[in-house]
Amino acid sequence: MFERQDEEDIVERVIRELRRPASIDRALDARVMSEIARPETGLVARRPFARVWPWLAAAAVLTAVVIARPWSRGTRPDAFQFVLVAPQAASVALVGDFNDWDPTRAPMHAARGGLWATVIPLPPGRYRYAFLVNGVEWRADPGAPAAGDDEFGTPSSVVTVAGRGS
Amino acid sequence: MILTALLLVIAQNPAQDPRYERLDPDTRARVVAIVDSARVVGLPSDPLIHRALEGAMKNAAGERIVAAVRRLAGDLGTARDALGSNATPAELEAGVAALRAGATPATLTRLRDLRKPPITMALAVLADLVASGVPADSAAAAVLVLAPTARDADLVEFRRAVERDIALGAPPDAATSVRLGATSMGLDATARNARPGKP
Repeated sequence: MFERQDEEDIVERVIRELRRPASIDRALDARVMSEIARPETGLVARRPFARVWPWLAAAAVLTAVVIARPWSRGTRPDAFQFVLVAPQAASVALVGDFNDWDPTRAPMHAARGGLWATVIPLPPGRYRYAFLVNGVEWRADPGAPAAGDDEFGTPSSVVTVAGRGS
Repeated sequence: MILTALLLVIAQNPAQDPRYERLDPDTRARVVAIVDSARVVGLPSDPLIHRALEGAMKNAAGERIVAAVRRLAGDLGTARDALGSNATPAELEAGVAALRAGATPATLTRLRDLRKPPITMALAVLADLVASGVPADSAAAAVLVLAPTARDADLVEFRRAVERDIALGAPPDAATSVRLGATSMGLDATARNARPGKP
């Protein structure tokens, strides 16, 4: 244990020591400042997102592009329904540019009331088509614009599919 | 894999396209020659093949099929000259329909300049209006008025309205004029409503 006078002396010395101005080695000061100034190995580079954020940004851009799919904009097919009223028909086929005028590729299905119907996907474009009834009789679509140029002597119709977003 | 290889073979040798087998040998050779010539100058080949297949399916004579394909190739070239080398195959086909309906190449070029691509629907509506009985110059004038601001859906609705009026007995010219006025007013109102700070 210290005597009271000793205690006071010690406290006095500590206070003096604390009040003494701190002196930093100038060389050390210069080294610290140069480390801070270096971009690659400095304090800034040690932040965890400093190296990761470009990859995160690239991933975000890639995700956005995959979701938006700009390369397929305007080319994705829309489903179109074709209907013909032909109560006496035994078979009806939809033939046109979209199926290379091949009646086996789009047979129509008989519905109630003499209706024949089918649904096919169509990408944007303009297509000529006609109905082939009973394998011999050509009919245009009464609900669609007529193809103006029937060079083969039978009527055809046209359907125009717009691109998306237009 | 097999499909890819098959497509590559067809792309390198168009005469191997199995669709040609539906044409008789003489017609096939002549159609292939026309399609190859068109391809060399950058025209799409599918519309030409489709026209040949349509003829074959409808039992047309070979001579008639060849004439139709040759005429289409020429018209595709005219449409491409009018619409520019960036025109899509769909725009070229619609352009051919508009030309055959009576539109001039200058009208096609003007439409291209007025409207943001694709202009397929605008060209198709022009052709379809003429097929409904509207005089070609009236149809062209109407589509050119609507082209800068109308959406494709607006153009289709305009065409349907004109067709309805004609079916109900209206003179085609009058139907076009009246419906053009109504559609233009609708587009103006839409533009005003979309403008921020409107009164």
